[in-house]
Amino acid sequence: MRLTRRRLLGSALAGALGGAGIYELVDQLAGTPARAIDAAAAAALPPEQHVLDLGTVTSEGVEVVVPPLHSELVTATLADVGDLAAARHELEQALGRLDAEYAGTAAGLGVTVAWGLPYFERHVAAAWAKHGPLDRRAGKPALLPPRRFPSDPHDTILEDNDVAVLLRSDTLAHVDAARTALFDDLKLFRTTSIRRGFAGGGFAGKTSLPKKMAMAAGVPGADLIPATAELFLGFTSTQKSGLGPRRIASFETLGLVDLRGGYFRNGTHMHVSHIAEDLEAWYLNFDFDERVLTAFAPSLKAPRPDAQTIPQGPQDVSDTARVRRDFRTAGRFGHSGSIQPTSRLQHDVVGPDGTAYPKGTAIPQRADFNTLDNPFAWTSRPERDGFSSDPAAGVHFVVFNPSSDDFERNRLAMDGVFPDGTTLPVGPQSRAQGFNSVLTTTHRQNFLVPPRAHRAFPLAEL
Amino acid sequence: MVAAAAALALCLLPAAAPAAHRAGGTRAACPKAWAKGWLALAKKVQAPVYCPTWMPNPLDGHIGGEWQDIYSIGKDRSYLVGFLYHGEGASGDVHVNFRGYPGRTRIPRCRIVVPISAGKIRNGIGPCFADPRGRTKANGITATVYTVNQDADQWHVLLAWRRAGTLYTVSEHVIRPYNFSHVVKNLDALLRGLVLVRPAR
Repeated sequence: MRLTRRRLLGSALAGALGGAGIYELVDQLAGTPARAIDAAAAAALPPEQHVLDLGTVTSEGVEVVVPPLHSELVTATLADVGDLAAARHELEQALGRLDAEYAGTAAGLGVTVAWGLPYFERHVAAAWAKHGPLDRRAGKPALLPPRRFPSDPHDTILEDNDVAVLLRSDTLAHVDAARTALFDDLKLFRTTSIRRGFAGGGFAGKTSLPKKMAMAAGVPGADLIPATAELFLGFTSTQKSGLGPRRIASFETLGLVDLRGGYFRNGTHMHVSHIAEDLEAWYLNFDFDERVLTAFAPSLKAPRPDAQTIPQGPQDVSDTARVRRDFRTAGRFGHSGSIQPTSRLQHDVVGPDGTAYPKGTAIPQRADFNTLDNPFAWTSRPERDGFSSDPAAGVHFVVFNPSSDDFERNRLAMDGVFPDGTTLPVGPQSRAQGFNSVLTTTHRQNFLVPPRAHRAFPLAEL
Repeated sequence: MVAAAAALALCLLPAAAPAAHRAGGTRAACPKAWAKGWLALAKKVQAPVYCPTWMPNPLDGHIGGEWQDIYSIGKDRSYLVGFLYHGEGASGDVHVNFRGYPGRTRIPRCRIVVPISAGKIRNGIGPCFADPRGRTKANGITATVYTVNQDADQWHVLLAWRRAGTLYTVSEHVIRPYNFSHVVKNLDALLRGLVLVRPAR
């Protein structure tokens, strides 16, 4: 369906702009992506909840993972459930019904149930003290309270939800059905926020979904987004070599985490944040060459003018010495270049299942998606969250790492603070500091993603 | 402040032709009240300059008038004439710049400043107008649209064109109440209304 902004604004749909309704356009503006995946393998649900096989395409000569069209994250606190074991049974039954109804693929539905520190500390404290995974490298629990980073505003909200459920699908109706089943039909949770978004499209030279959605919503700077950009900021962020492979982010894979009794084996850590993006600042102040060096590294040249997919394979990876050198010569550092010293393996690793992970392999598995939420599609605390019904460009940043500390190392590196003690002297929102001058983080929280076997009210049965 | 915000809100309505100029196919003259200033500028730079016949609300094109801001002529005869409305509080600004580089058609180079940390900056040199995004044509002028610009045109969308060995530009700041789309429309309206003023002999 072709839908111009004028037609959109003249239609009844205009009334839905700014609310959840705008995301219904995703189904109208984008066809279902073709996904080259092993259907048999995808049909069997893996023990890890966070693994969702998505398939790849080639974009500008680079293998790129095709993200789900729709993503939604629902956060909640526990209702007065009383008997946690009964609640566990009830939630598991509901999740099982979703598993039976939808294939565990992007064409079907990906469901990831994650639990916040408040859940573990308030509701299952004794079992958590015994079974909570520990980060050996950091000497801390693998799940930490959220924190602000040097480039965060002083008022970034550090959240305290009990639970977050990430729903991913190419079909909005599947996401809607899952939310209804888990948060409306069950009376286990008090929903605190609903966060919606989209990603993808544009790989075959078509106008991408973020471009179409931004134009339809009329957010400032929408006209400036390149027509085929995978995300609002203009570069492809899901190239396969930039995302952690299947099991690398699981607690046990890299040996960073002490699983103690092993209850959380096949689990992982999930960080969630909302980041507002100032598209006009990005596109009106940074020319293409500067956008490349800001997004990647000062020493990097785009393979061609207006390139969107910049190769970031293991051989292209920065280390701290290169970031320091770039900073000395150029007075700035790039976004992905600064993170790579902590986000990529510094040496070869063989996982417990025998999988070899060569030096330079990415560790984080990102599941971020663009949004027009401001900052959320819905919130139970509109005043605290600074809610507005006016659409705004942003990203719901969702990432799986082996621990909170591992995420923090990456996020600190983005601010020029490295584990070896190197600190690059830049101001918090300096243009010399990668993306930070056009990004504003509004909310953060860390969660633990249990293995599928313990996804419902983990530890409640002990 | 409320009045200022209301006034700016009005300017988001479709642009109205000012009393001094009606479109309709006939090229207008430089409005009488503004002509003296533009003629004086042409005389000083010894080259034709473009006088606007339409300006975004609430600005006018009166050099020496209420909204004129920068008025600068370089030793090389290049000029910059800016008009600025600075709204109260967060009501926004309206800022339009006119430039000309008599005898030059190359895009000039600008010092580009990257703030590093408190009190520390890094200087670079780059084109003053960059990231071309297509062309727009009106009033016999074919202009290139530039979206990343420096110095007084930073955060502006800028139209640049060449005439008789001279580079000319007009730009407008993308800032509340005007987003990128509004500014592009305003610049199209500005381009349609430009009138060449030649130095008196």
